[in-house]
Amino acid sequence: MSGKTIVMTSGKGGVGKTTATANVGTALALRSNRVVVIDTDIGLRNLDVVMGLENRIVYDLVDVVEDRCKIEQALIRDKHAGELYLIAAAQTRDKDCVSGEQLVDLCRRLEADFDYVIVDCPAGIEQGFRNAIAAAQEALVVTTPEVSAIRDADRVIGLLHASEIRSARLIINRIKPEMVRRGDMLDASDVLEMLAVDAVGLVPSDDRVITSTNNGTPVVYDTQSPSGREFVRVAARIDGEYIPMIDPVDEQPTSIMDKVRTLMGINRKASAHV
Amino acid sequence: MVDTTTDTRELVRIAGRGALVNITIDDSAPIEIACRTLREHLGRERRLYSGGEVIVDVGKRILLHDHQERIRKVIDSESGLRIKQFWCEPEVLERERERIDNLIELHTPISDRMNGNGRVESSAPTESDLEQMPAPEEDVEDDRQEFAGAIAADGGRPGVPADVVRGTYRAGEVHMFPGNVVVVGNINPGAQVIAQGDILVFGKLRGLAHAGAGGDATAVILAMSSVGPQLRIADYFWDADPPRAVAGRSRTGTTDGPTIARIRNGAVHVSPYLKNYSIDHGGNPNER
Repeated sequence: MSGKTIVMTSGKGGVGKTTATANVGTALALRSNRVVVIDTDIGLRNLDVVMGLENRIVYDLVDVVEDRCKIEQALIRDKHAGELYLIAAAQTRDKDCVSGEQLVDLCRRLEADFDYVIVDCPAGIEQGFRNAIAAAQEALVVTTPEVSAIRDADRVIGLLHASEIRSARLIINRIKPEMVRRGDMLDASDVLEMLAVDAVGLVPSDDRVITSTNNGTPVVYDTQSPSGREFVRVAARIDGEYIPMIDPVDEQPTSIMDKVRTLMGINRKASAHV
Repeated sequence: MVDTTTDTRELVRIAGRGALVNITIDDSAPIEIACRTLREHLGRERRLYSGGEVIVDVGKRILLHDHQERIRKVIDSESGLRIKQFWCEPEVLERERERIDNLIELHTPISDRMNGNGRVESSAPTESDLEQMPAPEEDVEDDRQEFAGAIAADGGRPGVPADVVRGTYRAGEVHMFPGNVVVVGNINPGAQVIAQGDILVFGKLRGLAHAGAGGDATAVILAMSSVGPQLRIADYFWDADPPRAVAGRSRTGTTDGPTIARIRNGAVHVSPYLKNYSIDHGGNPNER
């Protein structure tokens, strides 16, 4: 088996990298892939919490690269999603404990055994970021429709291209259809036009994500959740299936006032000004 | 360097070797403190240094011209020494020379470069004259001569080199070019394009564009969109008026069509670029 390594990155913090990693990883595993997710946010580990695997960590990423355990010992299996494994970050160390080469080496070895290796990148563009992208063949850039997040995503895409990761695709997270319709939030098409990359997912804002994160159950298990459904589609697209992009703005029923506005031909659409 | 003093961390070390005196000035200390320390040292042993030559070693410090004068003044007033030369680490010189070359490249008005004359003395930045640094030189000049000559031989119109770039400039990217820049793509927020000549953007200009970076106030910035938060032409500066609505909603009053920015009456003037108003004729006749 020869899998590929995908890095989940964003530049800005708090846009949903870890949530996206957990959900895309889980959804890929539910499509009967062998998936391993690696948390490289050493010192600030979160992915284990989001996936509900915190209690089962014995060995972590730093233990693996420092040869205190075998890779197999650090792989924590998720019991619900088939072949889904986690390598957790160390909580007590920092980013300098792992080098880019070590991570490349680890990912190459994992690729031999898994379909997808998903690397959850720390925020920022410093050493931790450079390490995380070193091993990746593809990148998923997470952003929200806010100018600051887009600015950082733009920078990160530039850096990814500079380090020869040509395949960078975008996940736009936390789209609030109501706000977009009112013209108070950037439209997905504006963001895509601006960043000049392909989208792989347009994820609506969803309070269930918060609940599911607190529970340690990725939101993809919740078939009622619009964001969970979109993450399932993201996984399918990554897996090579063709699923048309669904803009949450069109998906949800519009309010009566919006319908009136459309009828009257004064449907305001946000224009990019970033 | 000969070091006869005991404390290696001293800011100023003075070592005599026959008629030649070495003064080593620590490169990490601010120049004011270095000068004061030097004054104290020399003052204390004024008799010892009543005559002879001195070499001043400034280590890795980039010695600005007025700093050099200050040191000279201190040595003149506090001793009878005559400064033979200033000395610094060779790699510092190399780096500084490179930097100055780049600056000169960018600060030379294009017309001068195209005529193959001009530049160096007048436009070289004055802040960084190193005593023993030869002016960055001949070979560059020769290139220009040849270049200008080639155009004349061609019989064509004199032009300036243009850099045509296809693609998006992303946040954090900086592009400098000693000529005109044509971008087929967008300049995103946070990106910078700095050109000695004009900047043409066949896309959206949302980052910083600086045309006429050598001081050429006739340079223009032309974009296929309304223009972004800040523009510079030569030494003039323009920024978009702050009353920008909430993210997304477009500002009232601005069109989204092609836009041209140039200097009018001592300020950057941004206006829609309408067909029939060629740049040669001064642009929009209503504005003249």
